[in-house]
Amino acid sequence: MTWIYQGITLIVVLLILWHMLRERRLKEQMEAALVLLPLILRLLMIK
Amino acid sequence: MSSDPATEKTRGYGNRWTALGLLGAVAITVSLVAQDFRAMWSDPPIYPGPGVTGQARLSDYFSGIEDTAADTDVYFLEGTEPGGTALILGGTHPNEPASSLTAITLLENAVLTQGRLIVIPRATRSGFTATDPQEGYPEFYRIETPTGTRRFRYGGRGTNPIHQWPDPVIYVNGSGQQLAGPEVRNLNRSYPGDPNGYLTERLAFAIVELIRREEVDLSIDLHEASPEYPVINAMVAHENAMDLAVEAAMLLEFEGIQIAVEPSPANLRGLSHREWGDATGTKAILIEAANPAQGRLRGPTNEALIVEGVDKYYRRAGELGLLYVPFGEEGSPLKERVGRHIQTVSTLFEVFSSHDPDRTIAVENLPTLAEVLQNGLGAFLAPPRTEATDVGRLSDDP
Repeated sequence: MTWIYQGITLIVVLLILWHMLRERRLKEQMEAALVLLPLILRLLMIK
Repeated sequence: MSSDPATEKTRGYGNRWTALGLLGAVAITVSLVAQDFRAMWSDPPIYPGPGVTGQARLSDYFSGIEDTAADTDVYFLEGTEPGGTALILGGTHPNEPASSLTAITLLENAVLTQGRLIVIPRATRSGFTATDPQEGYPEFYRIETPTGTRRFRYGGRGTNPIHQWPDPVIYVNGSGQQLAGPEVRNLNRSYPGDPNGYLTERLAFAIVELIRREEVDLSIDLHEASPEYPVINAMVAHENAMDLAVEAAMLLEFEGIQIAVEPSPANLRGLSHREWGDATGTKAILIEAANPAQGRLRGPTNEALIVEGVDKYYRRAGELGLLYVPFGEEGSPLKERVGRHIQTVSTLFEVFSSHDPDRTIAVENLPTLAEVLQNGLGAFLAPPRTEATDVGRLSDDP
């Protein structure tokens, strides 16, 4: 079960990264960066 | 005048390089906060005293938790004379520090002359590796000893989500009780456990197995709760231990220690005071002290609140008669909560032994509440010596 949720988290992280690199509005990029923080910590199973 | 969406999208000063810069900032932030979180993955050392005669792992009783973050140390204190066996469970909820600290103080001081004492100081070991979200708890608190500072973790209520994830929407425990999803990580809702269940249920099963195999006569689960919680400064007893609890409460009152006795509700399932007694026949008692750091009325949540237990909002609530315990200028310091627990445990041993002399549990060298208050908790803790052991990356839970 945990692996499935980690997989979902990975997909969401990749989508946000893709969005961040294509986005031209700095505010949106900053919001995406903030969203990435907890997702990466959970993906790496640190928090 | 409305703006053109196509123009809007290109405005905003961002480009691929700003995105890469922000990603660099994310990487640095993750790296820094990861160090902070990982600092909680190490078990602060415990220094077993002269009364400790053996040590095991809880997985020795159920291999289903071996090599997981739920596996934890079990200490044995055996007297020279045969007698009864008691279990002290500390750290069921790692955000209730008097629980684990009482067990540690017992380990570092108690000497048995008759009978046997089994102590688990960090029952929900995984829970010590993270605090609860949105509570603002410090990760550590310190106790001064005469020759140095001991540092302990202030953890969360249940198993760390990195060790058991995800939570279900509704948790139906082994006894059929329906609970909120996060309670699936609460050891004291998971008894009698399930050998094939969630990690926390397997932990609960291992503890019940220990009680069964070691033929524990008297099992005590140490807790704390917020001062506005009705069951506070109290013992909750299974019906098979009610006579012990009532007599102990009377003896404690003679010593000036107010403590209530509550019956374990027959329909409140999954808790130690109910399931231990039902599943194994052990005399099961849960003890509560008042921890203002857990309450909703608290002010700044910091190390001082945990250790000193002084809070102006609780003091005001006490003045208004809104609390279930007295709460004055002196607050509810950790040394008082630990001292209460120790003296309650000692008194329960005394009463149990008087009821069944063949199963006597005679313990020496335990401080009283008055002694802890007078000398401070640090006077009864060993001075710091060695490094901690790592618990962090033991997650195996599918």
